Amino acid sequence: MNVAIKMTGRLYDEIRQDLERPHPFAFERVGFVFGKIGTASDAGWLVLLTRYHAIPDDHYIDDPTVGARIGPDAMTWAMQAVYHGRPAREGIFHIHMHACPGETGMSRTDAREMPPMIPGFQSVGRDAAHGIIIMSLDHGSGWVRLPGSKDLQSCSSMSVIGTPVGVFDRTGERS
Amino acid sequence: MTAGRFSRQSFLGKDSQLQIARCTIGIPGLGGGGSHTVQQFAHIGFKRYVLYDGDVTEDSNLNRLIGAESRDARAQTPKLHLAKMMILGLQPDAIIRGYACKWQDNPEPLRECQIVVGAIDEYRGRRELEIACRRYLMHYIDIGMDVHGEERPVIGGQVILTSPGAPCMTCMGFLTEEKLGAEAARYGNAGARPQVVWPNGVLASTAVGFAVELVTGWMRTARPYAYMVYNGNDATLMPSKTLKGLERHVCRHFSVEDLGDPVVMAL
Repeated sequence: MNVAIKMTGRLYDEIRQDLERPHPFAFERVGFVFGKIGTASDAGWLVLLTRYHAIPDDHYIDDPTVGARIGPDAMTWAMQAVYHGRPAREGIFHIHMHACPGETGMSRTDAREMPPMIPGFQSVGRDAAHGIIIMSLDHGSGWVRLPGSKDLQSCSSMSVIGTPVGVFDRTGERS
Repeated sequence: MTAGRFSRQSFLGKDSQLQIARCTIGIPGLGGGGSHTVQQFAHIGFKRYVLYDGDVTEDSNLNRLIGAESRDARAQTPKLHLAKMMILGLQPDAIIRGYACKWQDNPEPLRECQIVVGAIDEYRGRRELEIACRRYLMHYIDIGMDVHGEERPVIGGQVILTSPGAPCMTCMGFLTEEKLGAEAARYGNAGARPQVVWPNGVLASTAVGFAVELVTGWMRTARPYAYMVYNGNDATLMPSKTLKGLERHVCRHFSVEDLGDPVVMAL
């Protein structure tokens, strides 16, 4: 089953601008982006990203062992946002950026730290899709947990419907 | 892909052929307008298609259906087959998902496109297509032509580009309740619409140009919307006067709240 992510060019630019800003002490920024689901062909799904939430500087924890760590305030905000998004089946995606070109994937730290967040989101917003998105300088990869599923599934592609259009296919080849 | 094949369009950008090859184009309707766009997209190097048309070739199509020959009318060759052959003749490794039906009868594949080019006759059909494109995040390019008057016929037409977040066809003054109402009142009595090959060619070429700019950004115009008005008698294609004042316009007809499958909410 394929899952593809889509977003507008305006949202893509907003996310990039925020994530590329330096933080007072964290090595990188993270954020939350919201998405709604649509049915695609062959029992596939689309995740249509709607809006971005930048995490305030003081919601980060100073932890030099990781690129960025967010604290309980940011997580509480995210859980509340998922709760309020339930009627519209709007899910939440943790997003950050690797400052390199080409297709990217989860680092060892990403793989350890991020997937455990998703069941929490799903327990609050069970009818929505939640997941993880990692952008690179010119690509993007996503992992989604669909409603009713316990698996974090890799997305087949990510499209930016902007000017210009961007289509980031998942090949599994990391640069 | 041979090295020299796209050398004449290298000005589109260093990675343009890769961007073109990755983009999925949806074409619901493979008649006079759609067949032109299919041919051009295949020449340019587009490799991913979602096509819809349930009609077969008839004698009356041969004045404008690109790729059709007299024998296709005799054999009643499906228009979908003609389009597939045209693409595969130029792009043998193209991925074509073709459906011999209206897109509304199987809408899911269309949602996976990045760009949809519509060449359909009715205003209502255009509105349905634009709604789908907004809901599932796709650029929509509309082309259409008509001939008005009998004593001194005038060929008119339009090419419209709309994008999620940008002014829609209603904002641009193309789709109005008056037009939709008048069309609904004529339901079942539309008559034979005059259609000829050369205006379709002008309009389709302009639409393909918009699509190539969207994918490659070679002009760096970052144009998310356009409304070009065609006058076939004067041989002109001009920006519509209704675009005036839309530079900072926020579309009120579509919102991000409407993205994705409709959700039934308990009141």
